[in-house]
Amino acid sequence: MSTLPLAGGRISRLRASKLSRRFNAIDTGLWLITVCVFIFLLAPIVTVVIFAFNKGVLGKQTATFTGFTTHWFAAVWADPTLHHSLAVSVKVAVPMALISVIVGTTAGLAVVRHPWKPMRLTLEALMYYLLVVPEIVLGISLLIFFTRTNFTLGYMTLIAGHSPFPIAVVALIVRSRVVALDATLEDAAADLGARSWRSLLDVILPQLLPAIITGLIMSFTFSFDDLIISEMLATPTVSTLPVYIFGETHSGVAPNVYAIATMMLAVTLIGFALVGIVSRIFARAGAQEVSLSSAVAGQHGGP
Amino acid sequence: MSTIASSAPRPGVGSRSARPFGLIVTGIERLTPLLPLAWLGVFFVAPLGFTVVYAFANSTFGGVQLAFTFTNFQQALSGFYLHIFLHTLVFAAMGTAGALIVGMPLAYVLGRKAGRYRTVLAVAVLIPFWTSFLLRTLSWETLLAAGGPVQAVLNFLGLHSGSLGWIDTNKAVAIGLVYGYLPLMVVPLFVSFDRIPAEVLEASKDLGANRIKTFLHVTLPIARPGVFTAILLTFVPMTGEFVIPALLGGDKGVLMGGLIYNQYLGAANYPLGSAMAVLVMLVIGVVLIAFSRLTRGFDQIGVAA
Repeated sequence: MSTLPLAGGRISRLRASKLSRRFNAIDTGLWLITVCVFIFLLAPIVTVVIFAFNKGVLGKQTATFTGFTTHWFAAVWADPTLHHSLAVSVKVAVPMALISVIVGTTAGLAVVRHPWKPMRLTLEALMYYLLVVPEIVLGISLLIFFTRTNFTLGYMTLIAGHSPFPIAVVALIVRSRVVALDATLEDAAADLGARSWRSLLDVILPQLLPAIITGLIMSFTFSFDDLIISEMLATPTVSTLPVYIFGETHSGVAPNVYAIATMMLAVTLIGFALVGIVSRIFARAGAQEVSLSSAVAGQHGGP
Repeated sequence: MSTIASSAPRPGVGSRSARPFGLIVTGIERLTPLLPLAWLGVFFVAPLGFTVVYAFANSTFGGVQLAFTFTNFQQALSGFYLHIFLHTLVFAAMGTAGALIVGMPLAYVLGRKAGRYRTVLAVAVLIPFWTSFLLRTLSWETLLAAGGPVQAVLNFLGLHSGSLGWIDTNKAVAIGLVYGYLPLMVVPLFVSFDRIPAEVLEASKDLGANRIKTFLHVTLPIARPGVFTAILLTFVPMTGEFVIPALLGGDKGVLMGGLIYNQYLGAANYPLGSAMAVLVMLVIGVVLIAFSRLTRGFDQIGVAA
């Protein structure tokens, strides 16, 4: 461990230097593997970006680079079906993310705080099962369910169908935050006369906010990226972007697909940067809040 | 730290119930399960229930007649379908092992060695997570194609000569599976390696253990719940994976997910597709129960996010 000699001080330094040659061999190996794994992880993304500018042959993507062009970006930009499916994706993902955050947060609270143990265990079991059920199984089940109960497939069914998995993710994120909640804050709120719902709104929810925002972003991403459930529940008019892309790939890789991917990557990276900035601002505001509230609760230093 | 976090009493529970306000505060908490139970009851449990009912029904040329028959299961567990079912389980196990072998060193470096590069490396691991799974998988179609970049690299290194015929075979599916599930494998591993206090490892070193001994007898046992969570989160969804075999496997690389999909959007034999889905759910249920003690409640996922 590179940190160990620092933490261990003088006592372990002697032994460390004796073994340092072997240590370095292990470290070098580890870093070498890490570099290889990173190449493996990032190669497809780099490939997508490079081949988005590939001319291709006869309107088909090729495995070798045949020449530079920005034609595919213009083609994607002018494609009305693509615009429509992108709009559908956003119209589904935004309300879906809001619903999963509301349902998931209550589930995350209940799984820790509900006074009745069987209820906590039931919810917990449900969360685990949600997390691991293959999408194809859930997809066909939703299709049977909606057609058998005479729901008309459309926006509503797509929103509802996307929601189970993100709810479980939000619940797990919120749960880990609820477990770490500072109980003295709630005690203080109750002592100052706050009713339970006041305490929930003014004391608990602000502490859960980072978890909720993370959950919101993850839910949106899941819905935006989902293919299988969307493919099952899509109709000719209500069809999402991944469904469109999947349709384009049936006869090999269509070149415009990589251009779409590159644009989406650019949007994601910009989003990443924005989230980074926002979370930095939040962290600053949050730090002040914590120190203020811990002062109220009579703590020094805070968590 | 995971042992401390999970064995500690829930903060607040004791102090609250001791107060006169306890009843008021828990009042609202009694109601919290209603919303998730109602929502998930309708949009998760009920649909899965319909699938179970369908699995016992009769197929009537694109239609379904409710009944109680085991013929669908018999059909799903015989001949070609049984072969694909077993093949899928073997493939998921191999894919999980592959992701574990590739992901373990990466998670270890990220959690314990990266130092100031940690944030940069963590973001690099997560970028694939935030880009479309479908498009990343599709990219392998170009990478692995005959005359493509992977062939060029392998030829250059002398590991392979001539044209690369991996696309539309099991090989491409295996690469795709390891690639696609690597972030899912790395995140829980990273969190559990990261949470091990440096003092514990230092103590092991002071007691004379070398690096490898420390890893096997201290690091790995402490990280065990994370390791099992990672294995579970990789293996179980792999058994129902559809996109990777559909894009990279062609006709030779069909897995269970593709079969179920075809029964629904192709052959229109809904009861048979449902029976296959129920079989997959059963396997998952068994694995989940077997792992439930070992994973300590997927603690790492919530913390990582």
